[in-house]
Amino acid sequence: MTEETYSEKIMSRSIDPAALEMLARAEELGFETAWDRLEAMLPQCGFGELGICCRNCNMGPCRISPFEEEGPKVGVCGATADIIVARNLIRMIAGGAAAHSDHGRDIAHTLLLTAEGKGGGYEIKDEAKLKALAAEYGIETEGRSKEEIALDLARAVYAEFGKQEGPIQFTRRAPEKRVALWQKLGVDPRGIDREIVEIMHRTHIGVDNDPVNLILQGIRASISDGWGGSMIATELSDVLFGTPTPIRSRANLGVLKADEVNIVMHGHEPTLSEMIVAAAQDPEMIALAERYGAKGINVVGMCCTGNEVLMRHGIPIAGNFLQQELAVITGAVEAIIVDVQCIMPALGALSGCFHTKLISTSPKAKFPGATHIEFHEEHAYDIAKEIVRTAVENYRFRKPGQVHIPDEKTECMVGFSVEAIVAALGGTLDPLLEAIKSGAIRGIGAVVGCNNPKIQHDYGHVRLLEELIKNDVLIVTTGCNAIAAAKAGLMLPEAAEQAGEGLKGVCQALGIPPVLHMGSCVDISRILVACAAIANALGVDISDLPAAGAAPEWMSEKAVSIGTYVISSGVFTVLGTVPPVLGSPVVTELLTQGANDVIGAVFAVEPDPFKAAKLMIDHIEEKRAALGI
Amino acid sequence: MPVEGPFILVNPERCLGCHTCELACAAAHTEAGTVIGAVLAGERLQPRNHVIQVDSVKISTQCRQCEDAPCVKVCPTGATYRTETYTAVDQRLCIACRLCMMVCPFGAIHMATATVAGRDKRAAFKCDLCVDRPEGPACVEACPTKALSLRYPREVIQQATQVTARQFLEALESQQQLASNP
Repeated sequence: MTEETYSEKIMSRSIDPAALEMLARAEELGFETAWDRLEAMLPQCGFGELGICCRNCNMGPCRISPFEEEGPKVGVCGATADIIVARNLIRMIAGGAAAHSDHGRDIAHTLLLTAEGKGGGYEIKDEAKLKALAAEYGIETEGRSKEEIALDLARAVYAEFGKQEGPIQFTRRAPEKRVALWQKLGVDPRGIDREIVEIMHRTHIGVDNDPVNLILQGIRASISDGWGGSMIATELSDVLFGTPTPIRSRANLGVLKADEVNIVMHGHEPTLSEMIVAAAQDPEMIALAERYGAKGINVVGMCCTGNEVLMRHGIPIAGNFLQQELAVITGAVEAIIVDVQCIMPALGALSGCFHTKLISTSPKAKFPGATHIEFHEEHAYDIAKEIVRTAVENYRFRKPGQVHIPDEKTECMVGFSVEAIVAALGGTLDPLLEAIKSGAIRGIGAVVGCNNPKIQHDYGHVRLLEELIKNDVLIVTTGCNAIAAAKAGLMLPEAAEQAGEGLKGVCQALGIPPVLHMGSCVDISRILVACAAIANALGVDISDLPAAGAAPEWMSEKAVSIGTYVISSGVFTVLGTVPPVLGSPVVTELLTQGANDVIGAVFAVEPDPFKAAKLMIDHIEEKRAALGI
Repeated sequence: MPVEGPFILVNPERCLGCHTCELACAAAHTEAGTVIGAVLAGERLQPRNHVIQVDSVKISTQCRQCEDAPCVKVCPTGATYRTETYTAVDQRLCIACRLCMMVCPFGAIHMATATVAGRDKRAAFKCDLCVDRPEGPACVEACPTKALSLRYPREVIQQATQVTARQFLEALESQQQLASNP
């Protein structure tokens, strides 16, 4: 089917040809997707959009009239719009920080089990990183086995979650000036769980009713995510599964295969996806697949768990957040295996229309219409094999008439951990610093975040990236933005052709793409580490760097926590969708202007990617001028 | 002289799309009279109005209470009828043939399951201006932004003529001032 035959409605939903093809197919077959559900949801409640409804106690629900001199201006308890918006916003931060940090806790748990010899198939793959982290924690490494070191490290990291008085060790990776600022503001986190709990306490009826004080606690919890829970997830995943190095793969729905058992891994934690990858290579499983008439077992990723195995094993990635339903509609998926976060409950009913099995695995996350095969790290390999077997045995129920796989799959080069970037630069950051100083690279753009059907799928991501590289801004990316970039062909060294002359030269000299894939959404911690290293090398704070962030299609609470820790780390950030804060003039002013004087960075909201790029470039140029480069 | 029937007017500049009017409408047409009461009693909640979005504008839609109502004309059983001031559906007589739905130019009539004399049946639903409700239409009362109001044609005309007449007078006055102070 050629693009011209799609309706205007379908064309308005995505810029990805594979997504468009599947959206047309969905419409033809009468399957509903997130885009249809958003349409049915319109109009969405204006009170909710403005953030001025409060359901925190049962005197409510209360909502504040947004009109001048009319209607209630305070809730039953007397809370103003400013208080309600601030409370709601930091509860979103609590949700996001909890999700990331609980992911980090699961990885720490796996490291602990592995060190104790109880990990059902896990091993310590990156001993150098283990020792480096141990040194950071002051753990003795000389003459000790990696298991002994790992045991001490896992216990020390585990303790970060329940710490009462701080500091969280990894926060000390931030430049000294930044840490001093956090301490002065009283936002240096004391413990990962504590800050999240304190948000829930403060937003209970009748506790903290000062919008600024509330936001400061949101900042503290977000730092405990970015420089705590998320960073723990990243670092310990590297220890267990290996630190990513550049590797080539392919991205988009065309990675599904018509003649093989297709297993889509969707969710976030690499503990599961790593084992599925291993189990799918088990000769017993491959023989079983062949017995059922399949040519093999094709494991592909979706969303961030896909990013994890894409970075470490080159496992192809089928798409980002809004493509999860589209993958099922190909009719070629034997099993979509999910763990936690960003998994649409709609998958259950949709899978029921095909032979596809939705397999839930986490005791924390069950779904309607799913087969639950609970995953426990102690028996990881055996359980992974059972899951793969379930998928393989389902191949015979595939209905050939229902199979429709788009051709699109784009080559990509991924795996740019901080270590890999330094290696690509020849072992030191100096060439990058020189390129920034000379102006060949104007600055660094950190572009991250989700998909959101309120924005044409991938349009916000891809157009912003194209515009930034054209203006010599080197991109570091993670999450669903990274997948959009991979699909758009921006993660190939050849994409340097689309960059400005300066960036093109640097990329060609180093053989790297202009858009660097740094991992999953917890791996934004890698971007923080890179920023800290650059700032330290220049002897400045992160807020002095010619760098800017963006989340063009964000939707999740995790993104709210991310955005907050990114600006709290000193990086100006442009959001592509409006957060629910506009009902409060005080909070809106604080986030978009006032915060600059407090933490040296603010948010801006700009749905148009071209205007967003301009905001970022202007900011980068301002910082360059201040640095005198 | 015929009695003038009122109608519900929506101000799209004030509508936030919160759907409170839909909930109030549905609740007002239950035995319990409240959303939670109806849910607890297992009663159906069925709004007669709908909040929709046109481009970025949110707006509530409901029956215009047409005086020469096509829905009344096409009804083969007399279920849809007009009184002096409003149109309504007697769901006991309705056979859910959808003719009224088809001819309504405002899309203000829809078919749904109704419980009539203890029996579930499909029937037409439309706004009845809450004529049995002493406080007037529930949607108007519930709207948190006062986007909805119950209006009478004469009152609307009077308001409009008052405004333009005042403008005219002001214009005249300023002209006289100009004439006396050149």
